[in-house]
Amino acid sequence: MASYRTPLGRARGLGAAKHGVGEWISERVTAVALVPLVLWGVFAVLRLAGADYAGAVAWLTASPLNPTLMVLLVVVSFLHMHGGMRVVIEDYIEKTLSRTGLLLLNLFVCALAGTLAVFSILKVALGGAL
Amino acid sequence: MASYQFIDHKFDVVVVGAGGSGLRAALGCAAAGLKTACITKVFPTRSHTVAAQGGISASLGNMGEDDWRWHMYDTVKGSDWLGDQDAIEYLCRNAPAAVYELEHWGVPFSRTPEGKIYQRAFGGMTRNYGEAPIQRTCAAADRTGHAMLHTMYGQALSKDTEFFIEYFALDLIMDEGVCRGVTAWKLDDGTLHRFQAQQVILATGGYGRAYFSATSAHTCTGDGGGMALRAGLPLQDMEFVQFHPTGIYGAGCLITEGARGEGGYLTNSEGERFMERYAPSVKDLAPRDMVSRAMTIEIREGRGVGPKKDHIFLHLDHLDPKILAERLPGISESAKIFAGVDVTREPIPVLPTVHYNMGGIPTNFYSEVVTRLGDDPDKVVPGLMAVGEAACVSVHGANRLGSNSLIDLVVFGRSAALRCADTIKAGATQVELKPAMTDGHLARFDKFRNASGSTPTAALRLEMQKAMQDDAAVFRTTDSLASGVKRLEAIHAKRPDLKVTDRGLIWNTDLVETLEFDNLVGQAITTVAGAYNRTESRGAHAHEDFPDRNDGEWMKHTLTWFDDATGKVAIDYRPVHSFTMTNDIAYIPPKARVY
Amino acid sequence: MVQLRLPKNSRVQRGEHHPAPAGATKVKTFKVYRYDPEGTENPRWDTYDVDVDACGPMVLDVLIHIKNTVDPTLSFRRSCREGVCGSCAMNIGGRNTLACTHGHDEVPGAQCQIAPLPHMPVIKDLVPDMTMFYAQYASIEPWLHTTTPEPQTEWLQTPEDRSKIDGLYECILCACCSTSCPSYWWNGEKYLGPAALLQSYRWLVDSRDEATGDRLDDLEDPFKLYRCHTIMNCAQVCPKGLNPAKAIGEIKKMLVDRVV
Repeated sequence: MASYRTPLGRARGLGAAKHGVGEWISERVTAVALVPLVLWGVFAVLRLAGADYAGAVAWLTASPLNPTLMVLLVVVSFLHMHGGMRVVIEDYIEKTLSRTGLLLLNLFVCALAGTLAVFSILKVALGGAL
Repeated sequence: MASYQFIDHKFDVVVVGAGGSGLRAALGCAAAGLKTACITKVFPTRSHTVAAQGGISASLGNMGEDDWRWHMYDTVKGSDWLGDQDAIEYLCRNAPAAVYELEHWGVPFSRTPEGKIYQRAFGGMTRNYGEAPIQRTCAAADRTGHAMLHTMYGQALSKDTEFFIEYFALDLIMDEGVCRGVTAWKLDDGTLHRFQAQQVILATGGYGRAYFSATSAHTCTGDGGGMALRAGLPLQDMEFVQFHPTGIYGAGCLITEGARGEGGYLTNSEGERFMERYAPSVKDLAPRDMVSRAMTIEIREGRGVGPKKDHIFLHLDHLDPKILAERLPGISESAKIFAGVDVTREPIPVLPTVHYNMGGIPTNFYSEVVTRLGDDPDKVVPGLMAVGEAACVSVHGANRLGSNSLIDLVVFGRSAALRCADTIKAGATQVELKPAMTDGHLARFDKFRNASGSTPTAALRLEMQKAMQDDAAVFRTTDSLASGVKRLEAIHAKRPDLKVTDRGLIWNTDLVETLEFDNLVGQAITTVAGAYNRTESRGAHAHEDFPDRNDGEWMKHTLTWFDDATGKVAIDYRPVHSFTMTNDIAYIPPKARVY
Repeated sequence: MVQLRLPKNSRVQRGEHHPAPAGATKVKTFKVYRYDPEGTENPRWDTYDVDVDACGPMVLDVLIHIKNTVDPTLSFRRSCREGVCGSCAMNIGGRNTLACTHGHDEVPGAQCQIAPLPHMPVIKDLVPDMTMFYAQYASIEPWLHTTTPEPQTEWLQTPEDRSKIDGLYECILCACCSTSCPSYWWNGEKYLGPAALLQSYRWLVDSRDEATGDRLDDLEDPFKLYRCHTIMNCAQVCPKGLNPAKAIGEIKKMLVDRVV
């Protein structure tokens, strides 16, 4: 069905949301934070590659630094992933319903998986393991 | 004939054309509270004003003392005294205000170290009544027209002008000598429209494409002039066609006169700066008609450059590459693309190329169209105005000075809007249009749409362009012009044999080009007829059999009417105004035009 | 999902072949997109064998040659033929550019494909509907906004401030950039596109403009501005050598500047 809306009306659309810079900054900040965190994460995985479960728990509880960095790595990764996935969905998914559904799914999956991971790390780090 | 239905529109003012003058007039009318439509066959920023490079003249005095009287003197002298001095006074007095207005709208002019508008030297612009070249041409690098056009389009948007884009204007709706509106064909859906207005302003530009090689865009087909001729109105001073000295050899693309304003110069095959011989005081900055003639003489006498010795070199290679990048970036790019030349090292091959039509629809300085009726040489045609290159005010007379066209656009676009604001009541009742007023428009449209002869438009157009190029060139003779008249008569006679292949109504450019050709051919015929008739040399009209200016007989404007059916041209005259607008300056009497 | 295949009535079919005239010296084949809005058929690819020795060096010269001598029904926009009006933007050899400044010999191979600007509704042949593109340009309010009373003469501007507009004001609105941008393909209704944003930045950095904040307010939007993912197609194809992606980056920087 053709629309009789004027081109300028269409171009102006719903107007500017007046946000976006926050999200843009957050994507960059999380990206920057992930550079050392991921390096540290890779280093940790390599170090633990030969160790058994007890060894891993011991490493994690050895100092407060290791669980803290691990939580940060997980939180920042999921924040970054959420932002990135949202942009992909907004880019490619056209229909309002599927777009909203996928955006919610993205939020819920990231929140659930992230919280679960954080809780697991804390549980091990605070001595609740085994 | 197929049945066509008009879609009707009613406005206070309808502007046809959205180049510099059309936009200026339209936004002025809209700002004055008049319901204004601007009809254009191309999107406004694609109008040919966009290709203007060097600048816009106004005596701002940013680069040293200047005076509008000096500007006026130069313009009168440049026009070879054929310009009407009341209109020239109007132009030069109002020029500075018009440029400041453009700047206030946002035109990105280049700047002086003090933050003022930068001005450069241009041909024929002098200080103190001809003493020495002066910097009077306000520039935005070498893209002044582009900068102006885009800025004015933005302004027009801000003033809520109603645009009708890609509508091809067909004909003026005339009602016993009064213009009531215009008909147009909407290209993107094929519908026909009838625009009624209290005032129609033609801002349709020149007809450079009547020639084979022109700096003009493909769309410069003088549609307004064609419409005026069909409406039974005369065109004025059509014999004066400006050749720009520096069109790129082969491609015909423009290299601005600003290139010489920034220090560039021309050389012949002997490496000689030959302009020193022809215009000792201003040299390469002589007016365009003189430079074009000088170049043509050099080539004729065997001193052209290139393997065929048929062009001239323009040198910029001695200039600082930084200056070139800052002030002439556009032509550096054009020279690279169209001549394969790096301007910092090599000269540009150039040739005089058709550039501007001094002639057009006669108007007074209020931009109202005038005609000669009996003893009254200034009879206003009610409801019709013309501005820009389509019009002949006449401020350019027999030869326009470079950078005087952009100022012409805005000053007279503005004057048209002011006149509309003064004379029109917004929303006033308009007479009812009758089908009889537009039946002829439809018949013509349908005739061309279904033209089924054997000559494709492109073939006949080429024939016309070659005839004009051969016979109405920089130099003319009685023989060449007689041949031109004959050849164009023959072309006109072949018009019923035209063949249009595309029968559609949506974006049928075959038909558009045919309608454009029809507009061109009348103007081509009046051009050669006017030139054949004028047995003197003045400005751009260089008649070798009559090499001198003859003020006794020819200090008058040529008016040419064209009978579309028979192809016959009727000629009459209007006197050149021998008075100024105010007492602030006296009439500048004719004298020898030497630089 | 974004639609990856064209709708059924838009799929391009094989069209007519126009052989070169007898005596042609240097033949190149031009495969041209044709669509007749008044017919019932799908768009088609017509091929024209053109004697390029008989016409000028640019793709536009070839198109005009085809129109003048082979097929007058071919429609395309053209005006200045020197790269300043922006009329003849089209997709030539898979790349958006101006037909008037693109040499036919710049397209490698024996065949040169010419299509309308991608992802725009086609009105006829090589003529796309640019309405939305122009409306988006209008929506950024491309005129100088000032509140301070205008001076008697010009607004003063230093040459340095003026030079900030270089590389921006030269835009010819040909739409080569916007129509080469995948983000604009997918979200052309909501994303302003590189051309409109480049012009937006032209007014944002104009030292004479007094509405910088309002202009930024109107741009700060996940779609209008932030759909730019620095893909850089815009800068690659711009026939005037401008860099819209950089301008968009500068706008994003200005938005950051006002919060941190």
